[in-house]
Amino acid sequence: MSATITTSLYGVAATLIQIVAVGLGGPLLVGLMAKVKARAEGRVGAPIVQPLRDLRKLLSKERLHARHSSVVLPLAPMIILAATAVAVAISPLVSTHPFLGSSADILVVVYLLLTGTVAAALAGLDAGTAFGGMGSSRVMTIGALAEPALLVAVIALSIQSGTSNLPSMMSSTIAHPDWVFGPSRLLALGALLIVVIAETGRIPVDNPATHLELTMVHEAMILEYAGPELALFSLGEAMRLGLLFSLVANLFFPWGIATSDSVLALAVGVILLMAKAALVALGVALIEVRSAKLRLFRLPELLAGGFVLSVLAVVTGLVTK
Amino acid sequence: MNSTYVAALELAAGAVLVSAVMTLWRRSVRSIVSMLSLQGMALSAVAIVLALHEHERALFVTGCLVFVVKGLVVPGLLRRVSRLDPRSRESRPLVNVPASLVFAAVLIVLSYVVSSRITSMSPSEASHLVPIGVATVLVGYFMLVTRRRAVSKIVGLILVDNGIALVTFLLTSGVPLIVELGSSLDVLLVVVVLQFLMVSMRRHSDTDQLTEMKALRD
Amino acid sequence: MELYLAALGICAAAAVLAAVVTRRVRVVVSSILGALGCLLAGGVALRILITGSTSTFHTSQLLPMSGLSLTLDPLAALFILASAFVGVAACVYCVGYAHGAMASRTAMTLLFVFILTLLAVPAASSVVSFMFCWELMALSSMLLILTNQAHSSDARAAALWYGVMTQFGAASILLGLLLASLGTDQTFSAIGAHSSQLSPTLRSFAFVLVLLGFASKAGAVPLHVWLPKAHPEAPSPVSALMSSSMVAIGVYGMIRVGEDLLHGGTVWWWVSVAALGVVSAFYGALHATTSTDLKRLLAYSTIDIQGLILIGVGAAGVLNDSGQPVVAHLAMMAVLLLMVAHAGFKGALFLGAGAIEHATGTRNLDRLGGLIHTMPVTAFVVGVSACSIMAVPTLSGFSSEWLLLQGLLHGFADSSTPALIVMLLGVIALALTGGLTAVAFVKVFGIGFLGQPRSSGAADAREVSTSMKVAMGWLVVPSVVIGVVPGAFVALLNRASSSALATPVVSPIDKGTGLVLSQLSGAIEPAALFVGLVVVLIVVWAANQRLAQRRSRRVDAWACGRELQTPRMQYTATSFAEPLQRVFADVLRPQNDVEVTHVAESRYYEQSLLYENRVVDVIEMRGYRPLITAALRVGRFSRRLQNGSIHRYLAFGFVALLVILVVLA
Repeated sequence: MSATITTSLYGVAATLIQIVAVGLGGPLLVGLMAKVKARAEGRVGAPIVQPLRDLRKLLSKERLHARHSSVVLPLAPMIILAATAVAVAISPLVSTHPFLGSSADILVVVYLLLTGTVAAALAGLDAGTAFGGMGSSRVMTIGALAEPALLVAVIALSIQSGTSNLPSMMSSTIAHPDWVFGPSRLLALGALLIVVIAETGRIPVDNPATHLELTMVHEAMILEYAGPELALFSLGEAMRLGLLFSLVANLFFPWGIATSDSVLALAVGVILLMAKAALVALGVALIEVRSAKLRLFRLPELLAGGFVLSVLAVVTGLVTK
Repeated sequence: MNSTYVAALELAAGAVLVSAVMTLWRRSVRSIVSMLSLQGMALSAVAIVLALHEHERALFVTGCLVFVVKGLVVPGLLRRVSRLDPRSRESRPLVNVPASLVFAAVLIVLSYVVSSRITSMSPSEASHLVPIGVATVLVGYFMLVTRRRAVSKIVGLILVDNGIALVTFLLTSGVPLIVELGSSLDVLLVVVVLQFLMVSMRRHSDTDQLTEMKALRD
Repeated sequence: MELYLAALGICAAAAVLAAVVTRRVRVVVSSILGALGCLLAGGVALRILITGSTSTFHTSQLLPMSGLSLTLDPLAALFILASAFVGVAACVYCVGYAHGAMASRTAMTLLFVFILTLLAVPAASSVVSFMFCWELMALSSMLLILTNQAHSSDARAAALWYGVMTQFGAASILLGLLLASLGTDQTFSAIGAHSSQLSPTLRSFAFVLVLLGFASKAGAVPLHVWLPKAHPEAPSPVSALMSSSMVAIGVYGMIRVGEDLLHGGTVWWWVSVAALGVVSAFYGALHATTSTDLKRLLAYSTIDIQGLILIGVGAAGVLNDSGQPVVAHLAMMAVLLLMVAHAGFKGALFLGAGAIEHATGTRNLDRLGGLIHTMPVTAFVVGVSACSIMAVPTLSGFSSEWLLLQGLLHGFADSSTPALIVMLLGVIALALTGGLTAVAFVKVFGIGFLGQPRSSGAADAREVSTSMKVAMGWLVVPSVVIGVVPGAFVALLNRASSSALATPVVSPIDKGTGLVLSQLSGAIEPAALFVGLVVVLIVVWAANQRLAQRRSRRVDAWACGRELQTPRMQYTATSFAEPLQRVFADVLRPQNDVEVTHVAESRYYEQSLLYENRVVDVIEMRGYRPLITAALRVGRFSRRLQNGSIHRYLAFGFVALLVILVVLA
């Protein structure tokens, strides 16, 4: 009996650690990527903790709501945060058995992320302005084209493990190190990288640093946000980014995740998770430095490429089974 | 030992197919040609892995030959050809890029369906990968049909050739050296002829868009 | 059984009552009576699902040949339950909705006849009774579309399309059933017992015929063309019933005949069902994203969901045939859950669309906007149902789609090629439609309810009456309940799927609140997720209130430096979907016309600019129009034979008589 209690205590601890780690780590990853880009372009750049400072500053500002906007405007950032936080809580990031780990299905994570996208797109339409609508329309277009690649890539990984339960997927990868360099895995990784870049709004899909409304995608959607609501929105987006990076890192390289109940294992898990996510962030930042933003109507080519890679992943998975 | 062999074989064969799809994906002739070079190297890797596993010296030599011809020489020649053309892009293929990618996915599924009978005839680690070769052939043929530029069409032809070579490697553990030699030299010859052709075409009509060839009839 | 007959009787009484009494009484009393009938039928169906018993009723009085026979088994009961649930809502909704044509004697009577047949078709258990109920269902719904013809010029064309397609379908089903019942007394139990003695060719032929009819009713592409015309033109409660119950009965027919009567047949039957599903899902989702007519959009989304259901039916059939009964049951249960969930949210969405049309006078999304301020209850209902159809976690769409994906995922363990192809295409179709559905329904809610009103009708909208609100709220219940505690329905689904598939197994899902696969790996606990979401929402809300200023100030929206910001500058439904329409132009074939009129003085200045963008159904234009033109040509030719002269007609008869005599001699 006491063993069960200990296990669930560790589970709760792991869940809390994960939420805190992604909550703080997400903004830090955003800062890290900005720093890497700045250095690569020969600038000094803002410190890595800048996104956290921005959040504190925004929280102390006045709460402004656009005329004609409804309850959706303040509600949307909370929904994004809630959906992302629950996804973080159930995913095996630091430990393979977080609290609620039995529900840790990768499809749940996919659909929770979709919920966040939907909430954000509705928020963009709420104030009834041209830019908000433009941003929402583009975000949903990109989302609709990225969704097939994401879902099929995820299914490719699940077929290999025989389950879509995240902890089982990770422990089966740990048990079969030879899977890591299998063609099916690598193809799925390629597809997922494209999806992650699209979902987090990075170059070449979207430019997070743009200041011209007509080229904006994500930024156009959140033009009406200010003050505390903008802080929540940015935190939610940063956590999404943190979750996606750490999930990709863990799906393809799960070693280091805590499989047993001990403080040491959890500590190692946190540190290695940070390192792995930072590596992914570094890679994405380098892609950003090396490429130019694609025109909106060239994006289908990129995302269709991701989709084909994921279909290839499933088929090669079946061929080599 | 065996699992490393299987993993290496799968990886190399997978790379052949991925590079085939990538040639549909990319527009600039330069990256299409480097994908082709990658494919040639992956194909030679398949041959070499098979040769090491089956201890066949002839296959090993074939693999090295494929590496030199298809991985280095042919792409090098194509690169020189494309350097003649400053606007080195497949600007408007007959079927647009997303649609051709989706169609490629369909072709891949199709090749999986049609080759299931072949794989069941001689089940081995290698013959399981036959659908990948068939898919490469189909993707190459598709490229041959839908791309306008002469260089892209040649790339499609080479994809078909590589796919056939992959299937034969996997099924029979190696074509006789002389056959592979012949087909590789064929491709080489085609590329050389193309080079002359393109130079003269450019002198006449300032383009290598094969759609313009219709004008010759009139 | 007696209670079920009583329920049917109450519905019949409601129909009769609606035909004889005055308008005020008609609307209120007969609606309440109809709702009671549906409740009773639903209760009976629920009891059958809980106990797993089967009861039959037979009389040779009412119908010719083998008479009327009704059988309630768990499979039929599940479909009756779904229809009854939506039926209750439709009846209650009518109390507030019925006005104009819908309040007429004919319309109200037909509505209750339609509900009666929806409750009766799944129970019909002989060829004659099935075809009788089926035809009555088709006829009543077709006439219901025609009741709207005074208000809408498209209603007559829609009814004609629907009538023709449904009659072809019915003929095909009748032929198929007759083939299958050769050598029996035409009751379903006799067909089931006898069908294994039929030759495989005959069985396959019968199945193909039946499949054509049922696929047309289920809205499968390319037999769907009537659906996006008929569903929008019917009065909203009827659209809700058609889109949630009637199309499901098409699927019921496939399962009943293919699995129960013909015992699964061969693999390619189910591969073709799944292929129909894949095409329908993609085509429906794509058209849903580009439609601007709200009810047309919902109709296309019905085609999409029906496609997913057919994929599941096909997967279950293939897996059952290739010796994977456990996964087959999983897929079948997923399909049944999706069917019930769809009945709930699509019913609610159609009733919501009716409420919007009632309040604003239009169902064109391009002319709506800002309704969340004036119609909060409708906004809530449509919002929750839209989230459910988008598969937002812990709502019913999510639970059922998760289960379907699990069925497909574990189906990959089967190594036969047809099974793998069905699974692969199914996963791809689910993946492609997921994102497109999200675009369509973000558009519905974001353009329809948020922003500023785009027309005076939308600006002056008022919330609808209480009975309509109650009816819509009733249909939100399944979205939430199935979503949060799907485990509660596992036992019912397992009974229904066991009576559908010939190979009974232990339930593939454990008992409990969530969905835990017992013999396969995979589990979700939506109740826990729901609690988690609520807890985080509360924490974030509280933190937001504590850490930052509480009061908010209203300011003008950012207009890029411009002073003026009018509702016309907003994105519309058309512009929202334009990028996707461009991406999928090869499939959708949109037609764009730009007409520029220059001012007389200089052609550098424009006086007016007319831009037109239409997306028509390509399959209708390319596939059906040529057929119709050919039929018209034949008609025109045969008209030459008729000149109105009575002598000529008599001469035709005389010549025919002579020909017959010669042939016989």
